[in-house]
Formats: sequence, C-alpha cells, structure tokens
Amino acid sequence: MELLGRQEVWNITYDHALGETASFFFGQIRDNKRLFGRRCAKSNRVLVPPRAFSDETLLPTTEWVEVGPAGKIEAFTMVYEAFNNLPDPPYAFGYVLLDGADTALGGYFKGIDLSDPDAAAAKLAIGTRVMTKFREVRKGDALDFWFEIA
Amino acid sequence: MPLKIQPAVIGCVIRPVITGRDRSLEEIMYDTAQLALADAGITIDDIDGIVVASNDQFDGRAISVMMASSALGGVDRDILSTPSASEHAFVLGALRVASGQYRTQLIVSWSPTEASSLSEAQRLGADPYYHRALPLDELSSHALQAAALEHAVPGARAMAQAVVAKNRRHGEAAYPGLAGQGARGNARWPIAADMTTAPVTGAVGIILASPEFVRERGVAAPAWLRGMGWATEAAFLGDRDLATAPALAEAARQAYADAGVTAADIDVAEIVDASPYAELLAYEALSLAPRSEWAARLADGSFGAGGRLPVNLSGGVLTYNPVFCTGLIRIAEIANQVRGRAGTHQKPGAKLGIAQAGSGFAMQYQAAVILGKEARA
Repeated sequence: MELLGRQEVWNITYDHALGETASFFFGQIRDNKRLFGRRCAKSNRVLVPPRAFSDETLLPTTEWVEVGPAGKIEAFTMVYEAFNNLPDPPYAFGYVLLDGADTALGGYFKGIDLSDPDAAAAKLAIGTRVMTKFREVRKGDALDFWFEIA
Repeated sequence: MPLKIQPAVIGCVIRPVITGRDRSLEEIMYDTAQLALADAGITIDDIDGIVVASNDQFDGRAISVMMASSALGGVDRDILSTPSASEHAFVLGALRVASGQYRTQLIVSWSPTEASSLSEAQRLGADPYYHRALPLDELSSHALQAAALEHAVPGARAMAQAVVAKNRRHGEAAYPGLAGQGARGNARWPIAADMTTAPVTGAVGIILASPEFVRERGVAAPAWLRGMGWATEAAFLGDRDLATAPALAEAARQAYADAGVTAADIDVAEIVDASPYAELLAYEALSLAPRSEWAARLADGSFGAGGRLPVNLSGGVLTYNPVFCTGLIRIAEIANQVRGRAGTHQKPGAKLGIAQAGSGFAMQYQAAVILGKEARA
C-alpha cells in the first residue's frame, strides 16, 4: 500500500531575556570592545562568560573583572558542513582562556586558511596565543567578536 | 550505598535499526514495549510503573511522553519521563524498584530520524546567551574533546583509530547486517568521517523486577543490578578540562563501591563510543586502563573479542547509532551478556559486566551500571 508522510515546518520565535549579567557582558563588547568576567569571592575564580552565580559554590558572583583581549586556545575544531543561521563553512571554533579568566570563552577562529586541515590544526594548537578581534558594526551578540592567532 | 532491594533485568529488547515507514513512532514504541514484555515472559498487567526517555526535539513532539502513554500501557498506570538521557530512565526505574513501592518497571527509549537535522535539534541544547551562535552540536562537542585529548595524550589519534578498527570488527560479528553498511557520519577535526556512524532510528526496552517478583515467577536468568552511579559535568564546555572525565570517574566509583568489586572483576564492558576518543576516556574513568596503558592494551587485544576484558562486543555506537538511546542500549547489551542472551557476540561465561552511558555535549551526563549473573550475597 502507499505509505503516507506528513512534513511539518515550525517557526517559533523566542525572545530570551539575557538578564543583567549577560546584558552587561554583551553591552561592553558592543559599546567598548571590552571583555569582562565575574569573580566568585569564595573561590576567587573569574568566570567567563560571566555568570550571576558560581555553579561550584552556588554563591552570587560579586565583582566584574576585565579579561583578555589576549588569551590562549584551550580547545578547537573545524566544521565542514552548513548549519542554519550560521556563517558558511568551513570554519573553526573553540574555546579560549582569556588572560585573567579561569574559564574559557567560546568563539570562532578567523584568519586561518582551512583548506588544509592538518596545517590549520597546527596553527590552532592548544596553548597557542590568540587575540580577540571585534566586528566593526556590533550588535551585542556572540558574533561581535572572534579570535585570531596573536 | 548499595540498594536495599536489588533490582534485576528480566527482559530486554534492542532494536538497533528500524527501517521503512510502515510503522509510526507511536507504533514503534508499542512494538518495543510488547517485545520487551515478551522477552520477560510477562504482560503489561504485571507492570507497576513505566519510565520512558526520549528527546522532544528529535520526536517533533512537545513532552513526548504524552503520546507514549497510550502506546506503552501508561493509561491509568504510573508513567514518568527522563528527557535528560536514556540511561536516566534506567536509573529512575531501578530506584523505584529499590524503593519497595514497585515490583516491576518497564523502561523504554527511542530515537527517530524524522527531523531534517538531528544536529540542528541538538543545537537547542546550547544556551541561547553565549553558545547558540556557535555550531555546537554533539559531534562538535566530541571533536573539541578529541582535540583536547590529542593535546594531552601523544598518539591519541592512533589509539582512536585502533578503537574504531576494534569496534568495526566486533560489529561485523555481532550485527553482520549492519556493520560497515551504515553511512559514515560527518567529520569534525580531528574526528574523521570513518570514526562515526550516521544516526539511525532505533529503540530499546528493558523490564526491571524486584527479587520477590523474580522468585515468584521463577525467572531463570536475570541480570542483577550490582551497582550503579551517575554524575554530571558543568554545562559550559569552557569550564571543563575536556581531556578528562571526572563525572564518569565519580559514577564508576559509586558503581564499584555499591557492587563491592573492582575493574579486575569485570568480564565484559560496553561503552558509548559516540567518538573513539570518548571510549578512550572511559577506559581511564572506569579504571579499565590508565591513559599510559591505552596504546598497549589496544595493541595486545585486551579489549577485543577473546581478550581479557572485551569492550563493545556489540560493535558499539559505531555499528548502530540511534543517537538518543545509545546509553540505555549499552545497559541492555550488558544485561544480555550476563543473561547469556547476547547471541553471536556473547562472551562465554560472562558473569559480571559494566555499562557506561554518556550523553550530552562532550558526555556531560555520565553513568556506570554493573550487572551480574549472581545476586549480591
């Protein structure tokens, strides 16, 4: 017998509240090209991206601490397929421990030829120093910044 | 602390790959539950409670337990859902039997491939504040972990390739119709396309019972739950040392302590090899081999069929990859091993096995389950 299917496309728009902490973080990126973390007074860890509370101590973080813009690569990968609403592949992304931070910030790596993955991987080796770069026109989101080899 | 009432697995069904479009997802759930009940030799009237695990984004249904209730016998019966991970359904079901309030539990998990992209569905797991703008699906997270492990352990790529070769050999013996025939997965450096397998539709069902029920029904070969542990890592990958698996180490510590055994007592293991690097990390966290011995143990065949401790005789996720239920499937594979029902990939005389289940970004959720042929003394 003929087996039928039913294709559905849902298009729901979410308007997520970022809260004060993430709003300050992205506001500083948008307006001043500066990066900040939040310090936990008990553990002294500087959390980047900033959190209103530490998931280790469960205490509210107490202090804004400027971090970066330089840092070192903690993890990376290269992606070859397209995702919805993201830049065209290939691209590299990963995590960077910004100077003064205790946790790493996710972002894209740019300025590297990805056509030869092994050569690109050598340039992106964990521990490599990088510098945060900022988009000319910034909107206050995670695409406002990226990392380049220092 | 060991459970006061020791549950046993008395029935299992693994449906590694469900092809065709002659059954809807609800009908697949129904079939899976009926097959699990038949394997246990009981009917739905014997079931006191049901725990299901599924991924709403994969299913295309909000709170998909709502549709599962009818298919699984949940109408006018206790049914709960653990959308966090398939293995969590086993944990919850086992705890419910151990509470003494239930004699039996039906555990079912499924993972369809009806969404246009499971990767896009997985991206909804990333927070919308800092990480949603990154291509962060589960494979990307495994690749970030793989890169971290390659940095920490020289030669890790060759070890990962050895894991792939081992699991492919096992898969060809265990599921000859499947192994090597599945489409390769996507590549994310340093994970090569031949290190993963494309998602398929699959399902798994397990029946848990109390010792009293086992005794009353004269169940011949149950798999007794000797110990289990579970733990969770930080949600933000940048907070973690991706070259380690501390949550799994903690889960394993709990499981071994409950069981009163060590890794040296284990006969057979199943590990979620969502990437071969994840399997390597599990060797260490489960105390099967420290990283300094990974290469040697893989080279001498310790983890192969016929080795001292075969790992993934089923062929693992590399052989069949119904993404969301791969954790619960590892538990079912070990249950079948100690029940002597693992078919062509049965390890002769297997008495004690450990199943590791990891899920989420870079294995955020970790669980270890030890099942034995004998009940604890």
